[in-house]
Amino acid sequence: MELTKNITLGVYLPGKSFIHRLDPRTKIIASGIIIILLLIIRSYPAYGAVFLFVAAAVMIAGIPVGYAFSGFKPMLPVLIFMWIFQLFLYSSADAETLFSWWIFSATDAGFHMGTLVTLRVLFLFGVTTILTLTTSMVSLTDGLESLLSPLKAIGLPTQELVMTMVIALRFVLILAEELDKIVKAQMARGVAFDRGNFIQKTKKIFPVFLPLFIGAFKRAEELIIAMEARSYTGGRNRTKMKTLHMGRVDLKAGLIMIAFTALIIYLILTTVPPI
Amino acid sequence: MPIAVKDLCFSYKEGTPFEKKVLHNISLTIEDGEFVGIIGPTHSGKTTLAQHFNALLTPQSGSVIVNGFLTSDPHADLVGLRLKVGYVFQNPDYQLFAQTVGEDIAFGPQNQKLSKTEVKELVATAMAQVGLDYDTFNQRDIYALSGGQKRRAAIAGVLACKPEILILDDVTAGLDPRGREEIMTVIRELHQKQKITIIFISNSMDEAAELAERVIVIDQGRIFLDGAVREIFKQSAQLRSIGLEIPEVINVIEKLQKRGCLFPSIPLNLEEAINYIATAYREREVER
Repeated sequence: MELTKNITLGVYLPGKSFIHRLDPRTKIIASGIIIILLLIIRSYPAYGAVFLFVAAAVMIAGIPVGYAFSGFKPMLPVLIFMWIFQLFLYSSADAETLFSWWIFSATDAGFHMGTLVTLRVLFLFGVTTILTLTTSMVSLTDGLESLLSPLKAIGLPTQELVMTMVIALRFVLILAEELDKIVKAQMARGVAFDRGNFIQKTKKIFPVFLPLFIGAFKRAEELIIAMEARSYTGGRNRTKMKTLHMGRVDLKAGLIMIAFTALIIYLILTTVPPI
Repeated sequence: MPIAVKDLCFSYKEGTPFEKKVLHNISLTIEDGEFVGIIGPTHSGKTTLAQHFNALLTPQSGSVIVNGFLTSDPHADLVGLRLKVGYVFQNPDYQLFAQTVGEDIAFGPQNQKLSKTEVKELVATAMAQVGLDYDTFNQRDIYALSGGQKRRAAIAGVLACKPEILILDDVTAGLDPRGREEIMTVIRELHQKQKITIIFISNSMDEAAELAERVIVIDQGRIFLDGAVREIFKQSAQLRSIGLEIPEVINVIEKLQKRGCLFPSIPLNLEEAINYIATAYREREVER
């Protein structure tokens, strides 16, 4: 029983690779561009290009491949469910029926739609994971804050927003660790979480969430006290110990991104989407 | 229900970049009716080892056999096993979740599909065992309990499952001297009257010396020393070398020994120490 093992979201893997050394703003913008591209892409060759790019990033960053994949494991049931849904429910006028079952029929359009949507989710998650694995919390905060700072002009409390977001991300792992302890304490008193039907299993979840929520509130309160004890007052007049600088690596990364974006746009324009 | 551990190794987050080896080739056996203290510096692997005893963790290599059942066997009845090997956690807040003390203690028996009267009986017995008055505490809100009462409620919750082995994971941490003394009395009685095998994990050498009959010292995931309590605490230099404190009473006796006093052995509690010193003093008076 180890719940925290497969959580890669919000985890930072220290390193000295090309990607680690990039300015956080570069990484955030690059991730943003890839995410936008992913939302437009509708053909397999373009996905192939994104795959190669993401795989190269994983290699360069020195993230162990097995570990990078382990983050997908908990998502697998959802992805399969989604794929099946699309397979049976999506259809277009000229779709060819692959096979039928009861009132459902699977079409080739549904098959392609399911595959494309699944790939999209996988890559969206992959890109975000690479970003958080190679960027420490502190630099992620600094980068986001710096990118959002123009919005201060219209009165948006950017620093506070970013701080909230980063704490939320950080709590994913902390809460998983707490959940692990609570689940163990209940298993020790005879709860078999893996047994029973769906309703029985769901019933067993409630006693777990109660202490988890109480713990989360307690932790939040402790965090507030700890921050206030160190005179945290939010965004106004805060200075930075480490200021961000774009360097040669960022220039290189920028050029690579421009080339990659051009390639993807070329592929989007020239290849015919399956549906 | 004897426990036999052989060549046990365990790493957290195995197969990830954060892999951390916590236990290295641990082998030991614990017999029925023993009172074993597991001591060691923080992060030495005490809790990880103990969680293998009731199959909350299963070995990655090596084996753990409890009452003849291999815990890594996929067909073993782990739920039944966990009820027989009770585990009280370090922090009672992770364990207590019901509204009232009575409801929380009833959680274990209810999972075994017992009748209402049986559950009530088990709850009442368990509360009596830890010295919580049934009428006063049954309906009391969990969050209205003091630290010591919370610990006792947590122990009662595990006792209500009728365990034959009780693992207590640092249950006196953070309590005031009085709460600590109360918990220790409860534990001592469980061992002496109910004949429950007790595995007592602790950071406090004083408590281990006072309660345990046998002590296993763990350091960096390995067994450092294992033996009768008096034999272990005689090796004070070795214990200090891995950063453990020596029980206060032994400290005093050792200092007197250095000044030429002779004692039959080392004391394990205050009473023994007083007797030793009084006897030594009287003998010296006679010599004069």
